[in-house]
Amino acid sequence: MAEIAVGIDLGTSNACVSLMRDGKVEVLDNAFGERTSASVVHFHDDGSVEVGNSAKAKVIHAPAQTVSSAKRLIGRYFFSEEVKKAQAIYAYEIAEASNHGVRIEIRDEEFSLPEISAMVLREMKQIAERHTGETVTKAVITVPAYFNDNQRQATKDAGRIAGLEVLRILNEPTAAALAYGFGMGLNQRVAIYDLGGGTFDISVLEIGKDIFEVLATCGDTFLGGDDFDDRIIDLFADQFVAEYGINPRNDPYAFERLRLAAENAKKQLSVDEEVHVAIDCVLTGDDGQPMGLERTITRSEFAQLVQDLIMRTFKVCDEALQQSDLTVRDLDGVILVGGPTRLPIIRDSVTQYFQQEPRVDVDPDEVVSMGAAIHAASLVGEAQDSMLLDVTPLDLRIGVAGGLAEPVIERNTPVPIEQTRTFTTFQDYQESVQIRICQGDHRHEENNALLGQFEFSGFEKNVRSEVKIDVTFEIDADGIVNVTASDQLTGQQASTQITLSSGLAEEQIQKIVNEDVAGRVTTATVDEVNPSGGSAGADPATAIVPDGQAAEAAEEESLFGTGDEDLSLDRPDDLEGPASSTDDEAEFDLMDDDELIQLTQDAIASPPGGEDITLDMPVQAESDADDGFFDTSSDDSDGLEIQLEDEEE
Amino acid sequence: MASAPIDPLEINALARIMDELDYYQLLNLVPGASTAEVRKAFHASSRDFHPDANRELESPLREQCGRISKRITEAYCVLRDARRRKAYDTKLADSNSLRIQLAEARNSHDEQRRTERSGATAQGRQFHGKAESDLKAGNLAGAIQNIQMALTFEGGNTGFKAMLEELRERQKAES
Repeated sequence: MAEIAVGIDLGTSNACVSLMRDGKVEVLDNAFGERTSASVVHFHDDGSVEVGNSAKAKVIHAPAQTVSSAKRLIGRYFFSEEVKKAQAIYAYEIAEASNHGVRIEIRDEEFSLPEISAMVLREMKQIAERHTGETVTKAVITVPAYFNDNQRQATKDAGRIAGLEVLRILNEPTAAALAYGFGMGLNQRVAIYDLGGGTFDISVLEIGKDIFEVLATCGDTFLGGDDFDDRIIDLFADQFVAEYGINPRNDPYAFERLRLAAENAKKQLSVDEEVHVAIDCVLTGDDGQPMGLERTITRSEFAQLVQDLIMRTFKVCDEALQQSDLTVRDLDGVILVGGPTRLPIIRDSVTQYFQQEPRVDVDPDEVVSMGAAIHAASLVGEAQDSMLLDVTPLDLRIGVAGGLAEPVIERNTPVPIEQTRTFTTFQDYQESVQIRICQGDHRHEENNALLGQFEFSGFEKNVRSEVKIDVTFEIDADGIVNVTASDQLTGQQASTQITLSSGLAEEQIQKIVNEDVAGRVTTATVDEVNPSGGSAGADPATAIVPDGQAAEAAEEESLFGTGDEDLSLDRPDDLEGPASSTDDEAEFDLMDDDELIQLTQDAIASPPGGEDITLDMPVQAESDADDGFFDTSSDDSDGLEIQLEDEEE
Repeated sequence: MASAPIDPLEINALARIMDELDYYQLLNLVPGASTAEVRKAFHASSRDFHPDANRELESPLREQCGRISKRITEAYCVLRDARRRKAYDTKLADSNSLRIQLAEARNSHDEQRRTERSGATAQGRQFHGKAESDLKAGNLAGAIQNIQMALTFEGGNTGFKAMLEELRERQKAES
């Protein structure tokens, strides 16, 4: 029997599901005939969950129970800039979870980001099941190319929670290229300009008959169509303040009204030269009088508002072209992906930058999910093979002495790839070493995204030069990082999928899967829809979690921590990963500075004299003066350290 | 419709001898192969060993394929990059090392460039840094003084010399 495997584009603003059948790719529409659904999750009073465009409409009336743009938060640390920004603009409660992760609080319940995304994915799964009449359990899910390991792992977890076997985490621009070039027998170099709701990616690919090779990918996970909306919101809000002396940003309801008006105005400007916005009531005054807002925006005014954002995308494009050793003249095509690329201002700017008209024969909202569906079909043998040779978007680094991070695998290195470095302990009879892994392009560890750290012990203690620890860094075809440490002498191993920093531990995922959190999502059918809103649309037969189960679920939720409790008492297992079950002594030791063990490293190419150099990183001219001019090795004296062995083979 | 997976015997054989092959042998290339040939060979090998091409394989063949696939990528990363390839060829000839760390070739090059720019000694770097901050603050005379100090520690540093020369030119132009 033919295996069904769908492709899902899990976007910041919208999600889309496609399926390849009989050699044709089909975008699957939802019960309302819509080919994309808003990635918005609304929680009803009875605990059931609604997903999609109808859920998005609820944000006006129940902003605190309606979660949008969850993708901006997935795989992030609570203390990150993006989370702070989201707290300022969204009415739903964003709280700190264990492992410095993020949780969403809705009424008395808490949800991790993978759970929220799982609800969107479950809706996509149900759409596919409605079309096929069969259970759908396999999917390729796309992510922005510039997503780091934490974000990829969290997305993969979301797939599992939704009840899907994730065949592949695929980069969105790569998927778009596949949809564009599949089966066409092309021989082209193309650029994929992918501006989504919350992220920007540019990928340069070489497309051959059956091979799609990514030459370079660059991006900005802090730049998207939402930022364009924000500029218009600011325009409205400033005017409102000027007229009434009240800041509408402080009222979640008023803010949502402005946001929706801004988004609509932006879309309208793709069609018209000028748009007139009139909101009858942004806020109700103390005297009960509605305070409205009227504003006309022209295309050129809008262009000025967002000029710098567009320029930022081209700076990223410069980088991608440079990394792939190409100029715009070498490109045979430019493909636009993402809703915001419908804006004439973007199309014009892209044409100017790339010195050619972008392709308009692919739908920017659907092309990613179509590509994912093609790859899904190819992976289950339902379509002809097309090799996707992708790259890792970020430098993979290891923390070394002096707060620095040494690159091990550079960005734009093809995957899958593996690199092994050999270290020795810094002191005689040292018992353990701590290994910290991060991703990013900064020399300073703190400026990169920490993927995880783990302590490796249980190797045979010895004088320093006798201990040899191999640390193996692997990036798989999903772009997910795996790090293993092993002692050359004893073969003692410690390994971990090093994503526990902000993510869910295996047992947490299991628990969530067993609770069937995603099962709360009700598939709306047209009959059930009450256009006037309210709580209609939920099918009580499938929507409500039975009382007992709900209570149990709530109890188990508390095990994950609310952030108030003493973590060490309630959740001793919290930080354990897969490695702990393999019965070795490796432990995850997060943010424990007490016995911070630093790595130090011989210069990789030792000078001919062979003298031992503790880490002595050259200072770049632009670096800050405070960390600059002192030999970093002076920091080493009190730390337990391990050193990179000069590798001879 | 998927093309036939590679013969398990071939996987076993390659997995066994992989550690004894240099990157050229691994990709079936002659040492002088062009970048285009390197890429073509990488594509051909990927068709056989990339994880996507071998989803149906059972353990341990699948893991063996994974190992081969990662090594093929490594070979490609070195041979397609002129700088890395040069470092590898040297290492291969000198010590018969069959593998090289990807960061290695890059680093030895970058190190040299950085050293030229910001100094090889702690004192050299310190005064060069001071000169840079002086420059940012608009203190040209101070910058010249500090880069001269840096040169007393690293007389041969061409980067420092060039900077001093440039600053003196600017001073002349300003006065």
